[in-house]
Amino acid sequence: MRHYEIVFLVHPDQSSQVPAMIDRYRATIEGASGAIHRLEDWGRRHLAYPIKKLQKAHYVLMNIECDQATLAELESSFRFNDAVLRSMTLVRKTAMTEASVIATETAEQATAYAEKPAAAAKETAPAKEEAPAKETAKEEVVSDAKSDSE
Amino acid sequence: MARQMRRKKQFAFGTPGEANAIDYKNIEMLNEFVTETGKIVPSRITGTSAKHQRQLTTAIKRARYIALVPFCDAHE
Repeated sequence: MRHYEIVFLVHPDQSSQVPAMIDRYRATIEGASGAIHRLEDWGRRHLAYPIKKLQKAHYVLMNIECDQATLAELESSFRFNDAVLRSMTLVRKTAMTEASVIATETAEQATAYAEKPAAAAKETAPAKEEAPAKETAKEEVVSDAKSDSE
Repeated sequence: MARQMRRKKQFAFGTPGEANAIDYKNIEMLNEFVTETGKIVPSRITGTSAKHQRQLTTAIKRARYIALVPFCDAHE
């Protein structure tokens, strides 16, 4: 079992498939008694240079611990998946669990969008973050009503 | 005196996990060691130690491969 760091770029039009892809990779890794130590979704980022005439790509970072057979399976799945534009695998000595620089940056941007309601409506990610907050607010109201009735 | 030392002050690199750590994901830090055209600046100009320069070059090359940093300025 070794520690690997994988970054892969997904076609921006296939962005919606990313959660399903991550679930599939998680299943293969954990099925082979491996572990995912860090999983970061950097979202759609502007590329420094065009790849396949695309200006943007969806980045995902994974820090995993698995055996060689599982890694080979993962890499072949990247190769035969047309949605994956590019992938890079590095061997790491330890499990990385802290959020990377890019992840913290994207999180900051997401919160900045969430503060502006007009911009948040366009972005799906901050909208998802807002949804649970509203639910909790409703629950509070319900609990207040109950206490009133008592 | 013809020859002048033009060394920049040594950049304070952090250990892995810190903000200034040498890592391919740390784009802002890597841009300090890259020219406007995207070339890696030699350590004799930046004053980086040989050990750090080796780590920097691999980090920049990794960042280039996953398109976080450009190879050159002639990309479309």
